[in-house]
Amino acid sequence: MGNKIVVPFGSQHIALPEPVSFLFDTKNEIITDVRVDVGYVHRGIEKAAITKFEFTNVAYLLTRICGFCSITHAGGYHHGIEKLLDVEAPKRAEYIRLIITELDRIHSHMLANAHVAEVAGYENLFMQGVKDREIVMDLLENITGNRIQYDIYTIGGVRRDISKETAEYIKKQLNKLKDKVLKVYDFYDTDYTFGLKTKGISYISYDDAKKYNVVGPIARASGLATDARAEFDYLPYDELGFEVQTRTEGDVWARNIVRQMEVVHSIDLILRAIDNLPEGDIKVKYKGRPKGETFVRVEAPRGECFYYLKGNGTKVLERVRVRVPTYSNIPILKELFVGEKYSDAQPIVLSFDPCMSCTAR
Amino acid sequence: MGFFSKFRKKSPWILHYNTGGCNGCDIEILATLAPKYDIERFGALNRGNPKQADILLVTGPVTKNCRDVLRRLYLEMPEPKVVVAMGACGHGGGVFRHLYNVENGVDNIIPVDVWIPGCAPNPRALIDGIVEAINIWEKKSKDKEYMKNHSKDMIKNLGVNDD
Ligand code: SF4
Repeated sequence: MGNKIVVPFGSQHIALPEPVSFLFDTKNEIITDVRVDVGYVHRGIEKAAITKFEFTNVAYLLTRICGFCSITHAGGYHHGIEKLLDVEAPKRAEYIRLIITELDRIHSHMLANAHVAEVAGYENLFMQGVKDREIVMDLLENITGNRIQYDIYTIGGVRRDISKETAEYIKKQLNKLKDKVLKVYDFYDTDYTFGLKTKGISYISYDDAKKYNVVGPIARASGLATDARAEFDYLPYDELGFEVQTRTEGDVWARNIVRQMEVVHSIDLILRAIDNLPEGDIKVKYKGRPKGETFVRVEAPRGECFYYLKGNGTKVLERVRVRVPTYSNIPILKELFVGEKYSDAQPIVLSFDPCMSCTAR
Repeated sequence: MGFFSKFRKKSPWILHYNTGGCNGCDIEILATLAPKYDIERFGALNRGNPKQADILLVTGPVTKNCRDVLRRLYLEMPEPKVVVAMGACGHGGGVFRHLYNVENGVDNIIPVDVWIPGCAPNPRALIDGIVEAINIWEKKSKDKEYMKNHSKDMIKNLGVNDD
């Protein structure tokens, strides 16, 4: 019998881009208990959204909840406020929004997969993933003007149009990207040693996923077909033939595969959207102040993001409530650690792709 | 003297800490470490250990929970060291200025040498900032050179002249 040893992981750690602290109680390398502190990033954004900012520019604050999901937060807020103000964005704007949202999902998923590969010991694969991802970042910079915080959403439409040349460029680059992604997909799928490190680790069954209310790629890797893109009508996904991607294995490996499948599917969606881009305006005017309450569900790269907005007819909103995907995934994450080896802790954390800036806000 | 500083400037190691911004800047740091921008050309590696680090790369507006960790990381780093504050919210808080849990910028906690503006800064701007940081660090290193009186033969063997 070994002694009990407490191993800290975070808040500053090479594998973590964000501060979060895990304290693992281990015995003979097996984790017996874990304590999590996610509060390092708390800034008080929900409070500021209802005291310091007017409804026209609170979106700048809300998109800066998180860099990966900035477009998700922009989407959640703008779809809600448009319902309250009773304006409808033109079709072309909706399509441009969809294109940016899916590009964002692609770059987030590619980085998440690359990160899992890195902590599983494949540094080369990490570099390859991040290199391919630059194609997407390049496209985002081309369309919106910035690489991370796009701020392309505005109330009643979008700020920038996609020109003919840009559309051609996007198509060319995405076809190139698709080949590269399929190659890496093949590696994840068939490589024997990568399978040894990831298959069967931190298994979540279908029933557990349901019981703990897991969302996003983690749920879809366990066979639970939940996706706000299919369940809630906010962007023209059905027109483009969106399908939910699922696997049934429920381990670290399956999560990577689901994300990779979604990347491929998102590329298809964008290509279809570019081909069917409607003509017309990209912005409509709006009048009045937000009054009443509403909610929106949008699909972030990590799962379903829920927005609740309440306005009282003044310039400042009365309540902004955000529930983010990582928050609903933390309960099961704690359960999963117990009984696993400490050396697997990093792949488990990163296969969940946790986003602490979202969770603590 | 320029004995250690001569070699030291070839491998500035980076310690990166996010003090509560959105992770936009951290994504750009990852992108800068990867092949397209490749900060390793300058010998810079991202290592998660303050005892081996030379450049502290801070992002975010410094939340109250992160404040003590940041201060401790700074104190644990060996001299000479350079602090780089990245992103608009490191500069006085940016969009998070005067929120109740925020300390309004990195320089309220530790001294900062290089500022990289932007939200999020482009990787090209980040590379520019790191190069600037390396220059400052080399200067600090020369000023603080502690091994002043080593023998003439040793210098000759190593081919390092006095400067
Ligand atoms: S400067 Fe902007 S992108 Fe960078 S961490 Fe702050 S809010 Fe995020």
